[in-house]
Amino acid sequence: MELIYQSKYYTLYQAEKERRFYIDFGQKSIPMNLCQLIALRHKVMSISIEDHFDSDLNKHGFEVLLLCNKEHLFILNTLEILDLKELVEHGFSALGIAATKQIASV
Amino acid sequence: MKDIARQSMSIKVESMDMLNGQIKMEAHASAIYLAMASWCEQNGFFTSAKFFYKQTEEEREHMMKIFKFLVDTGGSPISPEISNINHDYSSIVDVFESTLEHEVKVTTSIHNIVKKARELGDITTERFLDWFVMEQVEEENTIRDILDMIQVTGTEGVGLQMIDNQVANWID
Repeated sequence: MELIYQSKYYTLYQAEKERRFYIDFGQKSIPMNLCQLIALRHKVMSISIEDHFDSDLNKHGFEVLLLCNKEHLFILNTLEILDLKELVEHGFSALGIAATKQIASV
Repeated sequence: MKDIARQSMSIKVESMDMLNGQIKMEAHASAIYLAMASWCEQNGFFTSAKFFYKQTEEEREHMMKIFKFLVDTGGSPISPEISNINHDYSSIVDVFESTLEHEVKVTTSIHNIVKKARELGDITTERFLDWFVMEQVEEENTIRDILDMIQVTGTEGVGLQMIDNQVANWID
């Protein structure tokens, strides 16, 4: 497996022979095809991190993530969500299907 | 290293995000025109209601065109959530003026996606949107023509009835 991007808590790999990707979440490593990886990106990027700093909007500062058609469930705190957002942003750039960060932020 | 992601997807994810935003905008437009059809039915503008039934179908077709493009390019289309649809209008003129305002917003949004796709070097998305750019010219022109007709006809006396009858010229 080839390493695509590593953030503080998570690592994205590409497995050429299987034609899929793996995210190592620390506790477990999850295989994903591109559609599942895009679905993860959509979920992660839809999370409003500002809500984590408002106790009315997010009382406990946690997010529940259901991945790969409800096969996996993760409960992540604010720092882990921020880190996962970073992995997704840079990982997609490294995979060549997203713009580099400078272009994306224009 | 094999480019598995690129082999599975022909457009940039930023373009996919913007096209998903456009899907939502087209669905919103479809819902707005349905609300306008409802207003027209309730206020006796039955021909205008037919016009807006046609518009609501057209907007949904636009939405599905983008939806299918995302499927074809290996992207992930998102079924949109629609809320806050206005059902209150002060007059038939208000209805058509709101329609033109909305069409201008849709045109601006499409132009922005084209500009961004160009910036990203995403030629596939840019060329796909050519049809939408020209379609918006037609959409805006239709509503402008109806507003011109309303101005020429006037809303006094039987004017409102005449306006409603003449809207039939733009239903085909």
